[in-house]
Amino acid sequence: MNNLAYKHETFRDDYTYRNSPDAIRRFPFPFAEDHYMYSVNIEQHQPGAKGSIVEHAFDIDEHYVSECEDKLITLGQDKGRYAALPHMMDAQWDFLELSMESLSRDYPHLFTLTKDGERWTWRNGPLGIEDSFVFGDAATLPLEPFEYMGRQVQGDFVLLDQREGTLFADAGFITSQADWSLAFDVGMSWHEWHGPVPQVEKMGIMDRALKFLMSLQQGNPVRRLNWTMTINPRLDTSPEHFPEWGPDKLKVTAQNAGEKAHLRVELQTMFRLPRSNAILFSIRCYLISLEELATYPRWAKRFHRVLRDLHPDLLEYKGIKVYHEAVLAWLSQHDDGAELALGAHPE
Amino acid sequence: MQHGYWIRSKPIYHSLAWQYKAQAHVLLASGEGGRSVLRLYQQRLPDQPVTVLYLPAENEDYSAPLVTVVGTSLQVFPDARELWQRFDQVLQQSRMGTRLYAAGTESFLWQATTLAVKHGVLNADVMREQPASLARPVYCVHCKTTTHGVTTNIAVCAGCQRHLFVRDHFSRRLGAYMGLMIDAEDPGNVPDAEEVYP
Repeated sequence: MNNLAYKHETFRDDYTYRNSPDAIRRFPFPFAEDHYMYSVNIEQHQPGAKGSIVEHAFDIDEHYVSECEDKLITLGQDKGRYAALPHMMDAQWDFLELSMESLSRDYPHLFTLTKDGERWTWRNGPLGIEDSFVFGDAATLPLEPFEYMGRQVQGDFVLLDQREGTLFADAGFITSQADWSLAFDVGMSWHEWHGPVPQVEKMGIMDRALKFLMSLQQGNPVRRLNWTMTINPRLDTSPEHFPEWGPDKLKVTAQNAGEKAHLRVELQTMFRLPRSNAILFSIRCYLISLEELATYPRWAKRFHRVLRDLHPDLLEYKGIKVYHEAVLAWLSQHDDGAELALGAHPE
Repeated sequence: MQHGYWIRSKPIYHSLAWQYKAQAHVLLASGEGGRSVLRLYQQRLPDQPVTVLYLPAENEDYSAPLVTVVGTSLQVFPDARELWQRFDQVLQQSRMGTRLYAAGTESFLWQATTLAVKHGVLNADVMREQPASLARPVYCVHCKTTTHGVTTNIAVCAGCQRHLFVRDHFSRRLGAYMGLMIDAEDPGNVPDAEEVYP
């Protein structure tokens, strides 16, 4: 996207978030088949088709400014959404470098980075930020490097330290999480942190994914999609604020599901970082209402079938159970049972 | 148990056993953990020096048999603060190859571990036994207070008074299980608590 008109919209209270037809068309619909179960669905994070969400290392879209504003609101309410253990400072600078270099290379009309030796100047057009600092000297930035750039890139970020034969989630910037707590999970090992995910233990998926990530090479990032559902277009579906968004789950009916229920897709990308040998795990959230999704009939049909036949443990874990029937009732009106070809494409 | 599936962050405890390849041994016990130390002393004793730090609890005081069995390696403390102070000193003086053992309530085990980790000991290198109560320390994800000694599946948070569902998800850094407001979706709808961690 070259000329972005940033939408002024909200991800809370009056929930004015909407997707433009362009944003719907490029939505990362994750289901290529009528049935869903976990798999190690990891692929190379190479630049994808022009205009797609994987054209660049980090996707900046029409929601950029509003999403960054929402981050600040969430951080203001709960400082624990940003946490970095002391030994992660090299990884913090790695993150700052990767994000600044990627954004200024991929969106030169929006972001610029100039370097004069170790003195760097960063300019963020859409957010109106300009700062000069000395790379490697945290005292020359207004915030720690990870928090500074975490506020300026859409999505959530975890820095994984590799030691003792596993990965530890030793730093995070988490304001749009699907119901997991950074304050609780920070410092956990790979298997502890994924402990609550059902079914994967039996399937050995986390062991294989860990093995794969431990051998991740610099310059060869990878990605996968994950998904859940969210009622109202809310980024901050954290356990911390569960009392605020939990009640909405009981307000879904067959009549309002099209507007209230959203498919929430995470583009997860993983980069090996050069100084720290840490891994950046970025989790970029895309939200789409069922009504918007039904713009493309094959998406509505397929999502109906996936949800109808989803494993009960996953319904429970993803928190869908309480409104499952209402959502199925809405989606079934859009499913004539016609056979669908393989693939997640819209048309 | 939660939703019928096992959460891998839930720590599993075993009976203490001497790790004979060592330079020294430091044992930490509270209350019923005194019995774990006595049981450990029924195994073949290691050749290296042993230090035992013990904090008796009300109605769970094994000081007398410990004095008889352990002898001069034993130090008994009147309160928790002094025990942790002494443990901190012991850790400062300890070298590579010192084996750590802890026995007591789950809160106690993780307090000991957290302190050891601050001195560069790996989590996995502390041996832990939970000899008696299954009572849990519970961290409220909403107000960040930890409530100790929870024996029920639903507990009132000592900080914000919300009713928390006690999950099996465990943070070694916080030394506590996650507690999540049980009636967040439907305020006021709180099921009866059941004692499942007696």
